[in-house]
Amino acid sequence: LTETPSPARYKPPATETNPALEDPTPDYMNLLGMVFSMCGLMLKLKWCAWIAVYCSFISFANSRSSEDTKQMMSSFMLSISAVVMSYLQNPQPMSPPW
Amino acid sequence: MKNLYIFVAVLFIPWSFSLAKYDEFEDGDDIMEYDDNDFAEFEDVNEDTVTESPQRIITTEDDEEEATVELEGQDENQEDFDDADAQEGDTESEPYDDEEFEGYEEKPDASHSKNKDPITIVNVPAHLQNSWESYYMEILMVTGLLAYIMNYIIGKNKNNRLAHAWFNTHRELLESNFALVGDDGTNKEATSTGKLNQENEHIYNLWCSGRVCCEGMLIQLKFLKRQDLLNVLARMMRPASDQVQIKVTMNDEDMDTYVFAVGTRKALVRLQKEMQDLSEFCSDKPKSGAKYGLPDSLAILSEMGEVTEGMMDAKMIHFLTHYADKIESVQFSDQFSGPKLMQEEGQLTKLPETKKTLLFTFNVPGSGNTSPKDMESLLPLMSMVIYSIDKAKKFRLNREGKQKADKNRARVEENFLKLTHVQRQEAAQSRREEKKRAEKERIMNEEDPEKQRRLEEAALRREQKKLEKKQMKMKQIKVKAM
Repeated sequence: LTETPSPARYKPPATETNPALEDPTPDYMNLLGMVFSMCGLMLKLKWCAWIAVYCSFISFANSRSSEDTKQMMSSFMLSISAVVMSYLQNPQPMSPPW
Repeated sequence: MKNLYIFVAVLFIPWSFSLAKYDEFEDGDDIMEYDDNDFAEFEDVNEDTVTESPQRIITTEDDEEEATVELEGQDENQEDFDDADAQEGDTESEPYDDEEFEGYEEKPDASHSKNKDPITIVNVPAHLQNSWESYYMEILMVTGLLAYIMNYIIGKNKNNRLAHAWFNTHRELLESNFALVGDDGTNKEATSTGKLNQENEHIYNLWCSGRVCCEGMLIQLKFLKRQDLLNVLARMMRPASDQVQIKVTMNDEDMDTYVFAVGTRKALVRLQKEMQDLSEFCSDKPKSGAKYGLPDSLAILSEMGEVTEGMMDAKMIHFLTHYADKIESVQFSDQFSGPKLMQEEGQLTKLPETKKTLLFTFNVPGSGNTSPKDMESLLPLMSMVIYSIDKAKKFRLNREGKQKADKNRARVEENFLKLTHVQRQEAAQSRREEKKRAEKERIMNEEDPEKQRRLEEAALRREQKKLEKKQMKMKQIKVKAM
């Protein structure tokens, strides 16, 4: 079924408005990461800070390419700083909850 | 006996070390206990216990680690003990000589009972241990992160390979059917990039255009999130497949007015709830397609029977039966506007915009464990898409069908207008009030009294005209009624 192509049409509406509606994971993870790193910094909880690092990694993995890298980087830096600060203040190793 | 004295003297050395180390002990009693215990231990003649120095006894109770650390430190002393021990072997096993230890008889006996008191064992805090092993939680965390990163890289690459495998398989067919294959919207001119547009680590887009009857075709390769470890773990509980979604936008004149869908029962039930057009125009539950020879797994949702009859021609049935396992849903609709929008009551003033669309959702075989070779099996499905485009153009409803269709659409629109009537009235009213207020404000703000008067007069005249118009209308209506 080879068709004679009519004049080539224009741009894709490829940049749909839907991406924001479809997958909220990166945004949630970003927010969660920031909340955890704040908790880790204020309450000096090491496990909070580690979870924050994980959250920011997950947010990065799920992010859309159109998304702002600055936000990603800032959340990542915040979580790393939370971990570092927790260890500087209290060099003891983390104790497991059990 | 002399040897015994030597031995005791030698024992003094580590004992004094231990004293020095445990200077911090404020408890004088403790030290006293050690004093006595020292000799008490010596009494319980046993080669092993004797060789241990007091500090070892205290600290090596719990931690084996500690034991090894401390023991190593004591190696030098141990050698001395060994020599002494070898000689003392015989004498130590004997009960001590009364003559020699007269003075001490009472005390050791007395302290024996005290010996039963629990020794306070000090747990050296972890951070003073200076061993990596105490940081095992941290090491676990870092290992987890590394695993995540590894999975990210591996998943990303796999998705990339799958996408390109798909594209390479389908490139020829697409290029023969479409003038423009691949466009990312950045170029000023419409030139084929011939490449997939990567939106994400798991979503790839391709825009094709330049074919008769359709405005364009957007292909979305929605892979599983292989780059996210959490998702990978979740998928172990609940298997899912990669999907290929194709959305063909038809030209207005190239498609008649009907709404039709075929697919797996589960998918259709979901779509009927979610999609605006399917929920409004296809009111019945999905019907089995067995009548047309379709397998049981597929069901049909249609606006009217005539559409189903028209759509289910031999070739379509052939496609659907042969590739039933890969088809998730196929939707032809002239009233497509996407999923139902959750809007507040006050905002609904206009029907959402509709576009004539053909939607296809295919599942990639392998349910997650796909390899690039599986992409070849999707090629016939693309042929089905092309065929459907031509079919949609050719298929026209007969007169009856068209009437029914038009009626349906009018009905839907009316319902919508009824729902929003109140809102629209309110909106119109508020707009009119806004205008009046704006005018009044303008009049008030005018400093020049002359201008003010003139504007007021103009406003009055306008109002009078409006009243006159209304009266005219009423008269006309009365005349018509008569």
